[in-house]
Amino acid sequence: MGGIVTSYLTLAAILFSIGLYGALTKKNAIIVLISIELMLNAVNLNLIAFSKWGINPSIHGQIFSLFTIVVAAAEVAVGIAILIALYRNKATTNVTEMDTLKR
Amino acid sequence: MRLHLADLYYLAPELAILITAVLLSLIDLFMPRNVSRTVLAWLSLAGIAVSALFVVHFIGVLNPSGGDAIEPIQLLNHSYRVDDFANLFKLLILAGSALVIFMSISSLKEEQIYHRGEYYYLFLPAILGAMIMSSSGDLITLFVGMELLSITSYILVALRKMNKQANEAAFKYVVTGSIATAFTLYGMSFLYGMSGSTNIGEINRALSALDPSFSAMIYISFFLMLVGFGFKIAAAPFHTWAPDVYQGAATPVAAFLSVVSKSAAFAILFRVVYNVYFLGPETAGMPIHSDVFLALLVLAAAAMILGNAMALRQMNMRRLLAYSGIANAGYLLVPLGIQLNGMHSSNFSELFFYLIAYYFMNLGIFAVLMVVSRAAGHEEMSGFAGLYHRKPGLAIATLILVLSLAGIPFTGGFFGKLYILLGTVRVQEYWLALVMMLTSVVSFYYYFSILRQIFMRPGHGLQEIRPTTTLSITIWICAALSLLLGLFPQWVLTSIERIFRLSTDFFIF
Repeated sequence: MGGIVTSYLTLAAILFSIGLYGALTKKNAIIVLISIELMLNAVNLNLIAFSKWGINPSIHGQIFSLFTIVVAAAEVAVGIAILIALYRNKATTNVTEMDTLKR
Repeated sequence: MRLHLADLYYLAPELAILITAVLLSLIDLFMPRNVSRTVLAWLSLAGIAVSALFVVHFIGVLNPSGGDAIEPIQLLNHSYRVDDFANLFKLLILAGSALVIFMSISSLKEEQIYHRGEYYYLFLPAILGAMIMSSSGDLITLFVGMELLSITSYILVALRKMNKQANEAAFKYVVTGSIATAFTLYGMSFLYGMSGSTNIGEINRALSALDPSFSAMIYISFFLMLVGFGFKIAAAPFHTWAPDVYQGAATPVAAFLSVVSKSAAFAILFRVVYNVYFLGPETAGMPIHSDVFLALLVLAAAAMILGNAMALRQMNMRRLLAYSGIANAGYLLVPLGIQLNGMHSSNFSELFFYLIAYYFMNLGIFAVLMVVSRAAGHEEMSGFAGLYHRKPGLAIATLILVLSLAGIPFTGGFFGKLYILLGTVRVQEYWLALVMMLTSVVSFYYYFSILRQIFMRPGHGLQEIRPTTTLSITIWICAALSLLLGLFPQWVLTSIERIFRLSTDFFIF
């Protein structure tokens, strides 16, 4: 695997870590959902980089990333819908206030 | 590449579920508002029954009586497999889902679900996702199936729209579930990067041929996927969503999550771990092979210890059952973690037998919880007080189910745990056998505190318990099956072993 794919992988790893950090620490529920998107996009970057520069380049990676994009869109749509239902009942998007369930 | 029109025949179980789901959503749309939606429940049960009949038919086709078993059918460039591993899982998933739908008939009002049509037909895509997961031989198929199941479960949890707890549980579920998905995908992207293919069999071949310098990347891919799958099976330390989601969701939905999602995730974990990491890296002379299985065993031990320890302090029955589910995920992980070798190759039958027992005892106890919490108006353990004096028949059924969960002899749960334990002893993983026995003993404490409430508390002056017909039937089916599994374990075990053959039905070449 040449040098060029390593830089893509590093970028993807950084994006994934930023996304994970955001998803675990941010207070605003919308930001949490956006951070998750960041993690999924890091995966797409990885797949595309491998499909072009990997040791066994093939078209599969690009097709996989198309599937990922579609499914991530569906997932976040459901996430937003649930957030709207929550907001109607509770009038907050702050995740630290979502603590009615017992520890 | 293979998908002729005639091959749609092999997809009949999935198509039956899909067509039922589409038809039901149309029927619900055109049905007058004031007509009861219960008919949709019966129709979805009919769809599940048709699908199950097709699965049984394919088990018969793959295992002709008297002759040699034929090769499994592979469709769509080996990305979809119709084999006995998948068929057995599908049969169990269909049976469990049918019981969940059946027990929720006429109890939806108490569960605060007002979108009844949607409730019934949303189960079907979830079942379809679970079936695709158990049949997939390709990372993309596997991922799509997993997401079909996950996204539908998010919606099912959120169906109690007016309930704040349900909203919160659903949101937590979406966030943790999506993070798990991202981890799984990130791990899969490394597998693809090393092999240039998404087919599990080809990945295995490519990994075997790899230079040892890639072993770091193999480790990364495994641990990322383990985190993702660990979330889906709710094994400790990735379990934190489970108690919250079970508490917030409607009881039948919680029952569905605790059995169907868990078993489907076990199917893919089993298939991926053994196909990708078991055969390949061994031939390349890398130590990864034993590390992978040690990681699985550590995860199993953590789930058993944490699940049982946390369950001790729970007074809320749903949270207690969630932690008991986490502990059971630990027991179920053991057959995956102990390695296959010449001395020991019955991992699948150990896993599957305990999975059958777990399905029925867990569904049964959730059904009992529905009856009891409806009478008591809350879900605390004290709702069970004096059940024996108030409704002796129900108390006896509950006794069988709880004994099976605890693993007391002559119930399904006992023999399931015993077979797993014998497996660990045969591969000489004695520390794990010790953890398993000690945590089982700990679990007696909280299971028996349920029994203490039932038999040793006075029952007079408490509300009358009136289970609906469907709930009583479900409870008795589950109790009877738990007992039968305990009385005739050998019969079930030999039929599993007759149907399932490791070489053809499991490994993808």
